Amino acid sequence: MNLALPVLLYAAVAVFLLGMGWRISWWLRAPAPLKIVLTPAPKTFSGVAVRLAGEIFTFRSLFKGDRYFWIPAWLFHLSLALLLIGHLGGLVMPKVAEATLGLDESQFEHLAQVAGSVAGILAISTVLWLLIRRQVGERPRSISHFSDFFALILLLLILGTGSHMRFMGGLDIMQARQFVAGWLMFHLVPPPSNPVFAAHVILVSVLLIYIPFSKLVHIGGAALFSPTLNQRNNPRERRYAGPWGAAASISKSK
Amino acid sequence: MKAPPLCPNIAANVHAHRAKKEYLEPLGLPAERPADWRAKALDKFRELLHERRSLSLYMDVCVRCGACADKCPFFLGTGDPNNMPVARAELFRKVYRRYFTAAGKLAGRLATAEDLTDDVLDQWFTYFYQCSECRRCAVFCPFGVDTAEITMAAREIMASIGVAPKYTTEVIRKANEIGNNLGIPLAAWKDSAEFLEQELKEQTGKDIKMPVDQEGAEVLLVPPSADMFANADTMMGYAKLFYAVGVNWTTSTYASEAGNFGLFLNYEQLQKINRRIVDAARNLRVKRLIIGECGHAWRAAQAFTDTLNGPLHFLQKPCPEHICEFAARLIRGGWLKLDKSANDGVTVTYHDPCNLARGGGLIDEPREILRAVVNDFREMPADTIREKTFCCGGGGGLLTEELMQTRMNGAKPRVEAFRTTGADLLATPCAICKAQFPEVFKHYGVDARVVGVMDLLAKAIVI
Ligand code: SF4
Ligand code: SF4
Repeated sequence: MNLALPVLLYAAVAVFLLGMGWRISWWLRAPAPLKIVLTPAPKTFSGVAVRLAGEIFTFRSLFKGDRYFWIPAWLFHLSLALLLIGHLGGLVMPKVAEATLGLDESQFEHLAQVAGSVAGILAISTVLWLLIRRQVGERPRSISHFSDFFALILLLLILGTGSHMRFMGGLDIMQARQFVAGWLMFHLVPPPSNPVFAAHVILVSVLLIYIPFSKLVHIGGAALFSPTLNQRNNPRERRYAGPWGAAASISKSK
Repeated sequence: MKAPPLCPNIAANVHAHRAKKEYLEPLGLPAERPADWRAKALDKFRELLHERRSLSLYMDVCVRCGACADKCPFFLGTGDPNNMPVARAELFRKVYRRYFTAAGKLAGRLATAEDLTDDVLDQWFTYFYQCSECRRCAVFCPFGVDTAEITMAAREIMASIGVAPKYTTEVIRKANEIGNNLGIPLAAWKDSAEFLEQELKEQTGKDIKMPVDQEGAEVLLVPPSADMFANADTMMGYAKLFYAVGVNWTTSTYASEAGNFGLFLNYEQLQKINRRIVDAARNLRVKRLIIGECGHAWRAAQAFTDTLNGPLHFLQKPCPEHICEFAARLIRGGWLKLDKSANDGVTVTYHDPCNLARGGGLIDEPREILRAVVNDFREMPADTIREKTFCCGGGGGLLTEELMQTRMNGAKPRVEAFRTTGADLLATPCAICKAQFPEVFKHYGVDARVVGVMDLLAKAIVI
């Protein structure tokens, strides 16, 4: 049995989880010594929750800033989220998904077929849109790095291999499910023999490993932990001494 | 305002004058760049990464989407790509990646990481002093990445190796040694207050006081020192307002400055200058603290005082209060008799100082006042006011002669917006804006004047 694929995937997931934990704890270990709220800054926790939800689910600030860019940016993230949910439902726990949706197996397959196709096409076209934008727009081009293109192209390859399986067939879904179930239980089952499947898994592993060490780390809560967005605007109502005590640079000079 | 085409390096040759020994040493900064400056700078960099979540997070999460790129007044005014907030931040981030990230250490150029060289340091000194810390970019960033936080960190690191502008350090030295940014000695402050009292007597026929260092007064008013010497109408406006409602108030010669240039250099000075206000309030045994018309002063006082030098239990809340909040409260309560027609014959618009609008959320009160005292009040276009306001071009420690070109460039979007209103009077509660706009209007051939909000309010107050 070919162990390379599942082992690579274990390694990638481990690097991803440890890497993200390492980055998030690095951010959170630093105190936020001063209130640096940005208007419109809510005064209450619930206000902050609404604001953060708006940023995370609708990209509110981005919408304010650039509507034409907001469209591909938001649709791109939405389609990735849909694909992620789709993989969870279709591959990891199809029974739960069927039960939750109240569908029988063939209805569920049908839904997966349609939703997966739509999300896949949406994702590919928005990635292309973002890629072209980085090439064509004068400002986006000037601020783009190699790593920006690398991330988009990597995603494009993942989406390409995924869509290949979706549209060209050739993947035994039952085999794939067994492989995933076995992988999750540390009880290895041979992967589907389809080479596109192998390519897909390898690319996803590369992405998982890459995320914590690149700008893609923003999925770990960039808006959530951002002091300009998550602080309450109440420095006069409530003394803010910094959750970890005032930072050293402040107390030192006292 | 439409974004200009990119003009690489067009602003690369505008620099602030560097501070020499006599300005650096009093602030505890090295008199010259040490031989091991790079190691020292990187140590400071590491320290700040450990101490400021804003910095450590914003170094990692920017996706270079460019939503902020055309939001910066200094980019809009120059077209210099390094003035796009994301690119400005990248000047700093490329060094961060080189020394503090695995990708940068391993992949170097491929990960767009760069050594901290003399050239990079020069770039920092140039472009981090073409940022007014106005925070407009942050409003449009999906993660709230605040380039001003990055500018502040870069400036703090540079200062720690003796690389700082003459202007900022000189001003801070005066604030520390004398108590205000203009370096006006105690005696001159008193003279000026007396002179303005006489002026008020001539204007109104009443004995309106402008008390100095009066122990036991109810209110300590801390104005920007420029109000006492350059913006006399604003200063007299405060006096008239307090007189009209019979509030016993005082200024302090020890804290004769609301402005806090520490915000433009480092936290140490920010805290030190801020402490003067708290000490003055304590020593004069006042009950309340009110801050005058100054943008960054308000951010420093409102958002930071309690954290830096609190607790402020001995003062009544809201502490501090902004003079516009105070005045708006009086107007709402019907405490003032106002005659709007006193301001007839002019068309007024309002400029939101960045730090009032974005930092403190003080947006509606000045407008409430203006609507109550002016008949012809107009707004500038919606995407240039309130939290989307454009910097005057002179904030963040840029208000110095040698940066005139930067200042005029940065003011361009604001002037364009102003022109659409047809107003001939620009009201704004900020001493820096008030010093900047006359130059701007001259430069762009605009026939208009700039005044404080208090100026117009005072005119309309009937006593
Ligand atoms: S808007 Fe925010 S994430 Fe986008 S380039 Fe600017 S700083 Fe980076
Ligand atoms: S803080 Fe203001 S001046 Fe500085 S980069 Fe952002 S928009 Fe430009």
